[in-house]
Amino acid sequence: MELSVFDLSKYLGVVPDTIERWARQGKLPIFKKGINYRFDTKELEQWAGKHNIRLNFSDKGIVEKERESIITLSKAVQNGGVYFDIQAKDVNSVLKSCLEKISNIPNDFKTDVLNRLIERESALSTGIGNAIAIPHPREQLIYLTDPLVSICFLANPVNYKALDNQPVSILFFLLCSSLKMHLHLLSVLSFCLRDSSFVSFLKSRPDPIELIEKIEILQGQNPL
Amino acid sequence: MSIIKNWYKNVYHKLFHLDDRLLLIIAGICVGICSGLAAVALRLSLEVVLEWLHPFRHYWWAFLLPAIGALLSSLYLEKIAREGAGHGVPEVIYAVSRYGGLLRFRSSYSRLISSFLTIGSGGSAGPEAPVVMSGSSIGSSIAKFLGLNDRQRITLVGCGTAGAIASIFNAPIAGLVFSIEVILGEWKFVNIIPIAIAAVAGAEVSQAIIPEQILFNHQPFQVGASDILPSICLAMVTAMISVLFTKILRQTAKIAKKSFFPLWVRAVIGGSTVGIMAIFIPVVLGEGYHFIQSMISGTFSMSIFFIFVAIFGKIFATAMTLGWGGSGGIFAPCLLIGSLTGIVFHKALFSLFPSIECASEGAYALLGMTGLISGVMQAPLTGIFLIVEITSGYETILPLIVVSSISSTMSHYIDPASFYFKELIERGQFLRPGTDARILADLNIRELIETSYIKVSENMVFRKFIEILKTSQQNFYPVIADETGEYKGVIQISTIRKYALDPGMYDMIFLNQIMDTEVMTASLENDLQEVLDIMDIDNVDSIPVVENDKFIGMISKTMILDLYRRELIMQTSVQ
Repeated sequence: MELSVFDLSKYLGVVPDTIERWARQGKLPIFKKGINYRFDTKELEQWAGKHNIRLNFSDKGIVEKERESIITLSKAVQNGGVYFDIQAKDVNSVLKSCLEKISNIPNDFKTDVLNRLIERESALSTGIGNAIAIPHPREQLIYLTDPLVSICFLANPVNYKALDNQPVSILFFLLCSSLKMHLHLLSVLSFCLRDSSFVSFLKSRPDPIELIEKIEILQGQNPL
Repeated sequence: MSIIKNWYKNVYHKLFHLDDRLLLIIAGICVGICSGLAAVALRLSLEVVLEWLHPFRHYWWAFLLPAIGALLSSLYLEKIAREGAGHGVPEVIYAVSRYGGLLRFRSSYSRLISSFLTIGSGGSAGPEAPVVMSGSSIGSSIAKFLGLNDRQRITLVGCGTAGAIASIFNAPIAGLVFSIEVILGEWKFVNIIPIAIAAVAGAEVSQAIIPEQILFNHQPFQVGASDILPSICLAMVTAMISVLFTKILRQTAKIAKKSFFPLWVRAVIGGSTVGIMAIFIPVVLGEGYHFIQSMISGTFSMSIFFIFVAIFGKIFATAMTLGWGGSGGIFAPCLLIGSLTGIVFHKALFSLFPSIECASEGAYALLGMTGLISGVMQAPLTGIFLIVEITSGYETILPLIVVSSISSTMSHYIDPASFYFKELIERGQFLRPGTDARILADLNIRELIETSYIKVSENMVFRKFIEILKTSQQNFYPVIADETGEYKGVIQISTIRKYALDPGMYDMIFLNQIMDTEVMTASLENDLQEVLDIMDIDNVDSIPVVENDKFIGMISKTMILDLYRRELIMQTSVQ
């Protein structure tokens, strides 16, 4: 196969000017001389083998790693669901009664999820202030098929040991099977919660469909 | 007293420190004489044992003699000397390029003994490589005794080689050229003079002790312009034979390695094969110097067909001896095969063109030798100068250059690695001075590691990490486990940037959630070539070095380039 200076520069990982200089200095096996140098694949392979040089004819390294399919926050909220009027007194009972409501987690795993969430809370509270908390486990839940974000509204605000010491009444349960997904949803969620109009909209306990529509609009504005 | 002491100190200092050229010349003379003595000793003992064994050659069991010799030789190397079989030249080249010419003192006699056993009993091999090994080891030992550095030791190893070759062939320039062309691989001003002197010393030793047994008596030949065309054809033939010889040698060794026989059985098989062949083709026995002598002087009488068979017989016998456990070199077999080829070619030439006017058979035997040496070792200058010295004249130089250059070019075209280098290239040990492989091999990972890194715990909250980030300059933060201190992963500033710019995330994530665990790591045992390969595959500029699950440091392309350049300057600068 014939190669041009540009092709070869890609395979060797240098700029075309370098290839031209090497060709002029007689360091490369040239197939055709003239204004445009041409190189032969077979000759080049022999030459590279002799000089212990790596040639990437297979376009490896140029192709980026396949991207994992990313689910949007609104989709995750649809998966997780929105729940109202949950009764609870303290952190553990909040988590317990919320989890019981969330229907998309298989019942067999609920105790495991609960233990992990309690463990995470004891390390550092997930109450981010403004009466909002984002409970999530530290290790990812590999048994979940789809990432889910469940929004739970408490009947009465509960002392959640939040960072600003305010009682918490709105919880975003963030449960994912992969770390990448988790970080993505967390960062989108954090972006949305920085919007004060969204927070006051949340406090009005909106209709789930309206809430998801609002999130859809907001996540579209996220530059990341 | 103090005056004498001062004077002595001064002289010592001047002799050994200020001018190391003088020191190298003096040491070179010693090395040349010692390796010359080693060569003479091997030659003399081979003569004696050949004469002593001569009456037994007529018995039916004579074919077992090479087997016994090979058996003893392989057992000696394996059990007593504990050194690998083979000819030793690649080992010397590797020692020169990797360990500054450091060789064991044991090598200075072990190969002599084993090759004496192999060749003396009739195995088809040459005494040159063992003598080269021994001479180099003597050079290395003398350098060690004098407390010299690597560079000076390499020169003395070259002196040993040159002295050995010069002594065996009574050809000092051939010794010098062989030493520099094959063993050292670089023509450096500081090397040439001590090596030349050592070569002369070696040659003088053999002339002084065994003047009557000098291998090739200097004799002039009449070679004219009409021989150019035949020499071109001869060169092509010798190139083919060279390639064939190298291939068969390597293939036979491979077959022997694959066979399930223990070492000593292999040696017996190889030896008795040679013994049986010797019944029909006596030329294959031993190093064959006598046959070469008679071929050069034109007294060799065999029919063209037999000589033709003998070429391949010798090739096969040498392969069986060396590949199956015997010990010795390929230099003498090359000479013998070369001279046989030359004579066959001459005879064929005369039967085709009876009226042609060209040189004698002896001259063609010499040309054939040049062709084989240039082809097999791809050392054209050694081939030319050896024959020039043997013929003691420059009348033959033109056909010699023709044969040598064509033969080495053709065999290089077919197979770019010569017989000596091939093993080294296969093992990745071919490290000529000033090459990339050599610099990468010389640089150690420990010289390149940057160890002053702030480590962070895997359970650290991101907010705390941001505080560290504000005050430190690092681009990479190794993450370690709390209790064990085990390496867990690495945090790269470039990949966490989007989280760092989002204050909402600060209290939400821990470092083990954002660290990169898939980054390939290197260990201290990796050599630099492997580290660079890892970087190439992952397309990264820095990788962590981890040893026993502990983070040691980072190694970066920037550091490598910096040190690489300094190393290149050091290695290629003229002393």
